[in-house]
Amino acid sequence: MTNLSETVALEPEVGSLTLTDGSIALLNLQAQIDGLEGHDTFEQAATLIDLLILRGQILGRISDYEQAAQLANHQFGASATDAAPYIARARTRAVFHRFAEALDDLDRADRMAPHDAVAKRERAAILQAQGRFDEAISTYSAVMDSVGQFERAAALAGLWAERGEVDRAQRFYLDGLRCYRGISPFPVALLEFQLGVMWMRDARLGEARTCFEAAIRRVPAYAPAQGHLAEVEADLGNPESALARLYPLAVSSDDPDYAAQLARILGEMGWNDESSVWRRWAADRYDELTATHREAFADHAAEFWLGPGNDPKKGLRFATLNLEARKTPRARGLLAQALDVNMVGATPARCSGAALPN
Amino acid sequence: MSDHFSGPRALTDPAADISDVFAFPAPDDAQQLVVVMDVFGKSGPSAVFSDAVIYRFRIKPVEIAATGPEASFAPSESEIVFDCVFDVPRDTGGAVRPVQHGRCLLPNGRTVSFRADDENGGVDDGVQVFAGQRSEPFFLDVRMIEKTAVTGKLSFKPKGSDTLYGTNILAIVIKFDWRKMLKGGPLFAVVCETLSAGKRPVRIERVGRPEIKNVSMSFKMFDQVNRDLEIRDLYNSEDAFDLKPDYFDTYRVRLNANLAFYDGLDGKVDWAFDGHGNHPLTKLLLADFLVVDASMPFAETSYFDIERSMREGRPHATPGGRWLNEDIMDFVFTLYVNGGNGPPVNDGVDAPIAWSSKAFPYLAPPNPPKGGAT
Repeated sequence: MTNLSETVALEPEVGSLTLTDGSIALLNLQAQIDGLEGHDTFEQAATLIDLLILRGQILGRISDYEQAAQLANHQFGASATDAAPYIARARTRAVFHRFAEALDDLDRADRMAPHDAVAKRERAAILQAQGRFDEAISTYSAVMDSVGQFERAAALAGLWAERGEVDRAQRFYLDGLRCYRGISPFPVALLEFQLGVMWMRDARLGEARTCFEAAIRRVPAYAPAQGHLAEVEADLGNPESALARLYPLAVSSDDPDYAAQLARILGEMGWNDESSVWRRWAADRYDELTATHREAFADHAAEFWLGPGNDPKKGLRFATLNLEARKTPRARGLLAQALDVNMVGATPARCSGAALPN
Repeated sequence: MSDHFSGPRALTDPAADISDVFAFPAPDDAQQLVVVMDVFGKSGPSAVFSDAVIYRFRIKPVEIAATGPEASFAPSESEIVFDCVFDVPRDTGGAVRPVQHGRCLLPNGRTVSFRADDENGGVDDGVQVFAGQRSEPFFLDVRMIEKTAVTGKLSFKPKGSDTLYGTNILAIVIKFDWRKMLKGGPLFAVVCETLSAGKRPVRIERVGRPEIKNVSMSFKMFDQVNRDLEIRDLYNSEDAFDLKPDYFDTYRVRLNANLAFYDGLDGKVDWAFDGHGNHPLTKLLLADFLVVDASMPFAETSYFDIERSMREGRPHATPGGRWLNEDIMDFVFTLYVNGGNGPPVNDGVDAPIAWSSKAFPYLAPPNPPKGGAT
C-alpha cells in the first residue's frame, strides 16, 4: 500500500505539454459520442456514459449528466448480474450527489468483483466528495498502484484541494503536469480548473485566475472555467470582462449558475432591471433543478438564494441539505454563512433586488 | 479496425488511436505502392485529425533472412518516412464537419498539401495523398471472439453480426511510385505510428500486422506469467523494428500462451512448440510490420502470403501486404486454429457495409450517421 501523504512531488517541467487543440478535442468528443449512439454492448454504453459525463463537465451541460444517468439506469435490464452496470450507475448517481445510493451500488459491485480497482477509485472519489477524507485516502491507497502517474497525481491534487491543503494540492498538480503523457487537453484542463476552484475558495484570486485562464487556453469552450474566471474577474474589479464571458454562457447553458452570476454582478453594478431578468431566470431554473436533483444543486442553490436570489430562509434550507449530503469544510462554511445571513439584522451577502415571490 | 482501442493510453485521444494499416500495390497502377493508416474507429460526423499528432508511415527495405521453421525478416538500417500533420480547423461555418487542411512531408523533403475529405487529395512530385472520413473497411464479430475466449469453444455463428457495420474511420492514403521514392526493395516493411508532435515526439501507438494487440495479445487469462498485466501500452511504446530485450520475453510469453489457446480450439495441436518452448508463429508475428512485395501485381487476398511461403520454403505468389477488402478475421482464425490443416474458420461476417474500390482513395465514402439523441 502506498503512503499517499508521504509521496514526494518532483520538480515540474510544465511548459512542454503537446496537447490537441481544445476545439478539435471537443469536435472529437462529439464524434465519439455520436459514434456510440445505437451502441449494442454494455462496454460501449459504459464508454458513452463516461463521455457524456465528460462533455457535461466541459460544457456545463446538465442535460448530458441526465442522459448519462438514464443510460446507466437502462443498462440494468440486461446485465444486473455483473459489477460493471453498478459501477456505471454509481458514477452517474455520484454526479448528482446521490452519494448514499452510489455507495450502495458500489457495495453490490464489490460483492460481485471484490478486487475491482475502478470501483474502489469510484468509492474513494465519493468518500472525498462526502468529506470523509481519511476513508478516501485509505481507499485510494489500496488502488493507487493500479493507476497511471497522472491519474494518481490528479486524484491526490483534488483530494488535498478539497481538504483545503493548498500547498500540498499544488505540489501534486505540478507533479501531474510533469508526468502527463497524453495529448487530450481535457484531463489537464479539468485539473487546472480544480486547482482554480481551490485558490478561489482560499481567496487567492490571482492564483485562481491563472489556473482558470490556463484551463481555458487548453479548452476555450470550458464553460465552468469561463464562469469561475468571470466570477474572479468581477471580484478583482473587472466586471465588464466578467459580463462578456457570462452572457453567452447564460444564454446557452441549462445550468443556472451563469445567470446567477450575471444577476449578482449586474446588481452590484446597479443595473437592477437587467439583473432582475437573470435573477428570475436563475430562480426558476434552480427551483426546477432542486425539485428533480435536490442533492446535486443544494450547494449552488443555497449560494444563489443567500446571494442574488435574496431568500435567506431558502438558502439556509439548501445549505442544511447540502451539509447532510457531504460534510466538507466548504459545506460547513456555507451553512455558517446561511446562519449568519438569517440572523436578525444581518445583511445578506451580495444580495440584490427585492425578494422573489415563491 | 483490427487495432482499435488497443491499449488504455490510446483511448485518451481517439484521433491518435490507429485502427488499421494496409499496404498494397495500386490496383489501378502497377508502378505505384499504396499505404493506408486508419484512425478513430466509430467516429461520428464531426471527427477530425489531431493537430498534436504526427501521423507517420515508416517504410524499410527488408530481406528474407531465413526460411523454413525459423523463417524471419531482416529489415534494412535505411528507412524512409512520410509524416502527415494537420491544422486546427478555423471556421466550421456551421457545418457539422469542419474543413481541415493537412500536409504530408515526403522522404525527399517536399510537401504535399491537401484538404481533408477531398477525394482527389493533394498531389506533388508524383505522390498523391488523401485524408478524411471514410467507411470502416474492417469487419468482424467481436462478441463471438470474446465468447470464444471465455468458453474455450469456437463460437462463431453461420451468420454473424458485424460489430463495425455502418461505422466510419479517419483514413490517410498515400500512393506513390515506389521505384522513385524508395531505395532498395522490392520487399518493404511498413509500420504506421502516431506520435505526439513537439520538440521531442513521443510514440503514442504503432501498428503493423492486423490483430496483434487485440486478438493475439489482449487476453490475459492464458498467460501464466503476467496474468494481470495490460501489455498493450508497453508494446505500443516500442520501436517495431527494434524491440527492446527488456520486455521481449513478456510479449513472447503472452503470444505463446494465446496462440496455444487458439490452436487448441479444434481439439488438436497444429502448432507444436519448438525446442525453445515457443509457438512457431510467435517470432514472425513479433516482427510486427506488414511486408509487401512492391514489384508484384495487386492481389485481393495476400496478407501473410510472404511469411507462409517463407515457412514452406517456396517463392511467394502474391505481393503480401494487406488489401482493404481482405477478410482478415477468417484468415487469422484459420491460421491460428488449424494452420491451414483443417477447414477454414469462418467468423460469420464476410463483408463490410461497403467494399473498397480499386480507384483512389480506395476506401468507400463515409456512412450516414445512425442518428440518435445527441
